[in-house]
Amino acid sequence: MTAGIGTATAAGAGKGAGSPSTAERGGGAPRRGPFGALREKRKQAAWGYLFVAPAIALFAVMGVYTIVYGFSLSFAQWNGFWPEWNWRGFRNYTDLLGGSPTYWPIVKKAAVNTLWVVIAVPLLTVLVAFPLALVLNQVKRFQGVLRSVYFVPYVTTGIAVYFAWNYILEPNGAVNLLLKTVGLGSLQQPQGWLGNPDTALATMIVVMVWSAVPVAMLLYLTGLQSLDSSLLEAAQIDGAGWLRSTTTVVWPLMKPITVVVLLLNVRDSLQGFQSFLIMTNGGPGDSTSVLGLETYRLAFLSELSPTLGLASALGWLLFLAALVVAFINQRVMRRMG
Amino acid sequence: MWTFKQSHVAALRAAAEKFTAETGTKVNIQAVTPDDAFLTKVQAAARTNDLPDVLEVHANGDDLAFGGAGLLEDLSKDVDQKWLAQYLPQVLTDGTVTPDVYKASLTEGSKTQGVQLGQRFSVPLTVGTQGVVYMNKSRAAKAGVTRAPATWEEFIDALDKVTKAYPDNGGVTVGVKQPSTALEWLMQPMAFGMLGKQKFEALFGPDTAQGWSSPNGQKVLNTYNEVTPYWMPGTQSKGIDEADLAFAQGKASFDIGGTYTLAFLAENGYDADNLMTFPVPPPKDAAIPGLQLSPFSLTGLSITRTSDKKDEALRWLKFLSRDDVAADFGKQALDVPPNDLDKKQSEALGPVLNSMEAAFGSGKNSYNAGYTAYRPSLYDPGKVGAVLAQFTPLKSRSAESTGTQMSSMLKSYWAEQNK
Repeated sequence: MTAGIGTATAAGAGKGAGSPSTAERGGGAPRRGPFGALREKRKQAAWGYLFVAPAIALFAVMGVYTIVYGFSLSFAQWNGFWPEWNWRGFRNYTDLLGGSPTYWPIVKKAAVNTLWVVIAVPLLTVLVAFPLALVLNQVKRFQGVLRSVYFVPYVTTGIAVYFAWNYILEPNGAVNLLLKTVGLGSLQQPQGWLGNPDTALATMIVVMVWSAVPVAMLLYLTGLQSLDSSLLEAAQIDGAGWLRSTTTVVWPLMKPITVVVLLLNVRDSLQGFQSFLIMTNGGPGDSTSVLGLETYRLAFLSELSPTLGLASALGWLLFLAALVVAFINQRVMRRMG
Repeated sequence: MWTFKQSHVAALRAAAEKFTAETGTKVNIQAVTPDDAFLTKVQAAARTNDLPDVLEVHANGDDLAFGGAGLLEDLSKDVDQKWLAQYLPQVLTDGTVTPDVYKASLTEGSKTQGVQLGQRFSVPLTVGTQGVVYMNKSRAAKAGVTRAPATWEEFIDALDKVTKAYPDNGGVTVGVKQPSTALEWLMQPMAFGMLGKQKFEALFGPDTAQGWSSPNGQKVLNTYNEVTPYWMPGTQSKGIDEADLAFAQGKASFDIGGTYTLAFLAENGYDADNLMTFPVPPPKDAAIPGLQLSPFSLTGLSITRTSDKKDEALRWLKFLSRDDVAADFGKQALDVPPNDLDKKQSEALGPVLNSMEAAFGSGKNSYNAGYTAYRPSLYDPGKVGAVLAQFTPLKSRSAESTGTQMSSMLKSYWAEQNK
């Protein structure tokens, strides 16, 4: 080890001692003219471009091409099989936004449901994840085990889990059984929690929150563990109790994390549809149809109808909505801060 | 060859072995399931010129859409009278571009855009019909139901008796999560029998005065509503396979499906001897008492245009259409072949398939679920079925409001078609 350091030092010293400065080198080595420097610069730039080329090519194919392709498709009618697209101008957009008596009611209902999800899931996630992180941060023993347990929903979330939830929420599933066992039989849902249009969307929101809490909790926990303890101590010296110091010191300091949690969940709520596809397919009736699911249905579940363009247009409208929501969210958080 | 029916794979492989022994040509069978994965795979393969030589397709659906998009060979010159003579008369034109299909293809947004009158894009592989009720025979017998209900009233009575005998699992199920099922498999056959062909078709016509809000429409909806107390709890959250599975697992005592449901039930361990099947019956004062169901091609065989083995592919299609091969295929796949089989071959299919065949009829007084020319070409049964599901099993709409909404949707489909 020491020898290694010594060698490095010696080499460095040797280089420092032995390498003549540019001025000193002037007589021996051929002087580089302005063209030489330019050539060197270009060579360096070429190497730079060569190194970033794979990433640029990947982005050009997977990013730019698909974005341009998808955007163009939103102005066309196509079913994925026809040799050519039928151009429709803005009619896909106008049909979705009130122009078509077939599609407008579907989009309207899905938009209202999506709005509920977009509001409820991020808020409930914060409301559950932050207290959970606070509790976990206070626990002195088994913190690692508990953290793993609370993180289980995240690592297991997937199609299998959504199927498992389906079984749990069935008329004779675990939830109804539990309610009956603890004497709350009147709260049972005879048609299952996803079979009743009045409870289906709320149930889906609970499942989504269950999936979202682990990451949010971990983010909060990281924030709590990196808090400067002197701030809390100062608050305690000033007479603040646990509740006071949590609400007036800790919570404001967690604002950047809250913004991230809210933004991530708003995005997921707007665009996510897998759980809805697997668990309810938008039903019963249209009580759990959301915009992401309708986009997927128009694209892939329309039995070869030429609605890929409509799906693309709905996707772009969702993108715009996500931008607007993110913008409003940031402004609100800034004002609150 | 690609198929989207897992239950057909073993039977197709057995036929392929015989075909290889006879001709020396090998056939590789690959299943791509479920249906939407099959369509996506065909879509992707079509764009990369990677389609197989032969596809099993939904007849009068995918075949015409793929054909219109230029993916399939036009078989009209290859399928001659001798070939067609093997089939049931009801399915002879299935897979072809009839004047109705051609007219519908001209509507903007039609999925069959590009087809030409007289083209043929598939030959039938399996036939059948929707609107078949599967009843748990032993439970029904214990509840005092020993013969298949012949009228809607008897059907409701059977439901009532079995549900009383088995309060937890005596009900009826259908995959309402795909809401077109209850509409097309249960209500429509009953409505056709109740009203007769003309008045039934008028329910879907452009004249709302004869639509679902009319006295006829309301009569159908109110009669259909009689099934409401007997739905299996949570049936609205079940897809087609899930509903069939619930029946196979004993969670329901009645299952509404089609002739194709039998194979799925058997695959999932249901004992076919414990089944009684019957077509959805019309009411006793129906316009068509003793309604029969007209079979139509459920799946067909198509040759892709990019195939460089067209002659071999045609020989394979011809081979599968032979009576003896079709009978063996039907027996193994538990599906009804399209052939006009003689008595001996027909009996070899087994008692359940035989009873379903017995319900087959023809002519204008039999209900043909495959005939849809009376509906607007952009009609979406899933969306109309979703409204019906709100009526029953969800009970969130009245018959009046359901009729109004269904009529309004049909009006908009006709308006879009006539734009």
